[in-house]
Amino acid sequence: MTARRPALPLPQVVRDVLAQRSGRIGMAIVFLHLAVAMAAPLIAPQDPTYQDASAMLQSPSLAHWFGTDRLGRDVFSRTLLGGREAMLIATAATIIAMAWGSAVGILVALIGGRTDAIVMRFIDAMMSIPWILLVMLFVAALGSSSAALVPVLGFSYGLSAVYLARAAALDFVARDFVVAAQIRGHARWAIAVTELLPNVRDSLAVQGAMQWSWILLAVSSLSFLGMGVAPPTPDWGQMIADARGIMQRAPWALICPMLALSSLVIGVNLAVDALARVTGVERTRRVLGA
Amino acid sequence: MKFKSHTQRVAMPFVVFMTLASAADADTILRRANDLSFGGSESLDPISATRFYEVNDLIYSRLIRQDETGRPAPELAQSWTANETATEWTLTLQPGVTFHDGSAFDAADVQFTLERVKDPALESPVTDVLGLIEAVDVIDPMTAKIRLSTPHAGLPLLLMDYRVRMLPEGAAAPFGVGTGPFMLDSYDPESTTILNANTAYWEGAPKLDRIEFTAIPDSEARNQAMLGGQIDYNGLTRDQEPLYTGNTDFTVQSYPAGGWFGIAFQSNQPPLDDPRIRKALRIAVDRAEMLALMSGEGNGIVSCDTPVMASDPFRANLDCPQDIAGAKALLAEAGYPDGIDIEVFTADLEPGMVQYAEVYQQQVAEAGIRVKLTVAPSDGYWDDIWLKKNAVTSWGQRPADQFLNEAYRSGAAWNESHFASAAFDTLLDQARSTLDLEKARSLYVQAQEILFNEGGTLIAYQENGRRVMSSRVTGIAPQDEDHIRWHLVGMTP
Repeated sequence: MTARRPALPLPQVVRDVLAQRSGRIGMAIVFLHLAVAMAAPLIAPQDPTYQDASAMLQSPSLAHWFGTDRLGRDVFSRTLLGGREAMLIATAATIIAMAWGSAVGILVALIGGRTDAIVMRFIDAMMSIPWILLVMLFVAALGSSSAALVPVLGFSYGLSAVYLARAAALDFVARDFVVAAQIRGHARWAIAVTELLPNVRDSLAVQGAMQWSWILLAVSSLSFLGMGVAPPTPDWGQMIADARGIMQRAPWALICPMLALSSLVIGVNLAVDALARVTGVERTRRVLGA
Repeated sequence: MKFKSHTQRVAMPFVVFMTLASAADADTILRRANDLSFGGSESLDPISATRFYEVNDLIYSRLIRQDETGRPAPELAQSWTANETATEWTLTLQPGVTFHDGSAFDAADVQFTLERVKDPALESPVTDVLGLIEAVDVIDPMTAKIRLSTPHAGLPLLLMDYRVRMLPEGAAAPFGVGTGPFMLDSYDPESTTILNANTAYWEGAPKLDRIEFTAIPDSEARNQAMLGGQIDYNGLTRDQEPLYTGNTDFTVQSYPAGGWFGIAFQSNQPPLDDPRIRKALRIAVDRAEMLALMSGEGNGIVSCDTPVMASDPFRANLDCPQDIAGAKALLAEAGYPDGIDIEVFTADLEPGMVQYAEVYQQQVAEAGIRVKLTVAPSDGYWDDIWLKKNAVTSWGQRPADQFLNEAYRSGAAWNESHFASAAFDTLLDQARSTLDLEKARSLYVQAQEILFNEGGTLIAYQENGRRVMSSRVTGIAPQDEDHIRWHLVGMTP
């Protein structure tokens, strides 16, 4: 009888990730971002939406650490707050994407046959559409509020989770312990939850963490295009879009949100690299053309 | 030997450059850029929807142009009079004017030019302006009579339209022959278009020998060409302006113009069908602050929701400081004591369109007006959002009568706020048939007061235009392009 792969306990995983240099750096960056995002309303020195005609496009100073933008708003305060909404959307959308993607992926791997073929061709068809086009279609139809973005991104990014969960589960569906459970007459959903899910957990964790950074980038891209986080909520993508026309005059208005966004994405990537090494999962680097 | 060939390699381009430069010195050339906004189909027909306006301004002339204060002044028409009902206008033409091909300008050319505006096959946008011209009679070579289908005391203002430029009788594609200070030498809107001075120009020979247009579609590329000294004259955005400030090689001008962003609130949809709410949404705005934030202080003129530009004699110059208490009171009176939620759409179509809505959202919050701002896709914005939702809108300048009728008369196709007021429409009708300019002014002003009190469109300011020129360019005052007398423009060596 084939042995089940022992899943490492969570504290052990965290310890192992932190034992690696990329893991330490990545986790530090991510936690710094999370801490700033949570504390931002308390620590932001100025109202990020306050417009001041007497202080437009000022270079960094003691009064405005990161300078001001074209409407005289404080870039430092806006940068501190600019990731909150995108991180919230990314978190909610990642949960949705991983939940439905994993459920469908594991189930079709277990069911196999025609159901598997039909579902996967549907997923193939959806994935052949560039993600930004797919998301823009939904946003155009449903509007660009955060409430609409979460299910839209959750659905779009769940497609790749289906692939991954199915591939991971296929490694196990023919194993003895799954076959034994089927012979015992266990329901499919019960086999998926009790036998398969614990075995694909590591893969899904790595995938989920990557999904989060992709979705964060997607939200920022949509905000850049004017379809993501709506003003007056400050957002990095929106700030970059606003500042691109004044790049020569006020580079700080562009560079600060860019650094914030890219450092967070890099931090997540470093942490995920370490997590993948610890769990022995080969991480996906590109999905949906992201 | 090697040294010599290297020297030659270095020296040759320099010699060629110097030869070209000295050849260029012989002629005074002003180099400009055209923005290729019609993708190469720029037409020399001045009334075409794809008119090549930068060039047409130089090769053709109007009958009537604006003077320094924006009032009608003679150009090819020396003088004009109307009958008592303002249905017939008699124009006396400037004698001694010739077209570039040597033929004389006369009343038959006026008849041809104005009557072809109505040709449905041309689908000219100018039909909306001059569609009321029934016919033009040639009284004698220097006198033309324009007959209107409806009375219009402001016909001279309509003839000031930048597209109404005189063509020789029988002119046909590709056009290009006019009475303007410059003559077409070569025409290629996608590459280079060259105009030579018309030494026989009736107001005097131009100071420039030639004007050359190079097609540069991208705004930033035009800006770089200007910075690099490849062109001598260019439009400027607010964000580009600081690149030239303090540089003595350039002259930057800011001049009064009539373009504006606004927010059109849908007056036919509850709760905005209540004029008190519409007024509250507008008077809660700090217009001077908005102008300063959007365009920079002094770079425009505050508007109390009138679309009419500052230099137009029919503009209503009202006073409308931010009135938070007044807005709150109006909302309470209309049944919204706790404030009101409004959705406003905008799109990233033009620089500033999104910021305009952001500034509005921020300013009116104090009055309890909670604006949900939706940035719609740019694609299809004018088709899907504009005219249907509360939306940020953008207009270029137009004469008062044209603007008020086109955008606010009940049922007009581009009445973007669906504003409907019988009193407003009547005032416009009366103004059109009033020959006394002062009386007409008073009627147009009353109509604009109605817009401020009941209208659905927020117009916080009219923004100035900006241009940058080589500091060698002379003869251009800080006024919009319609006012430039191109034959007086020169270049110092």
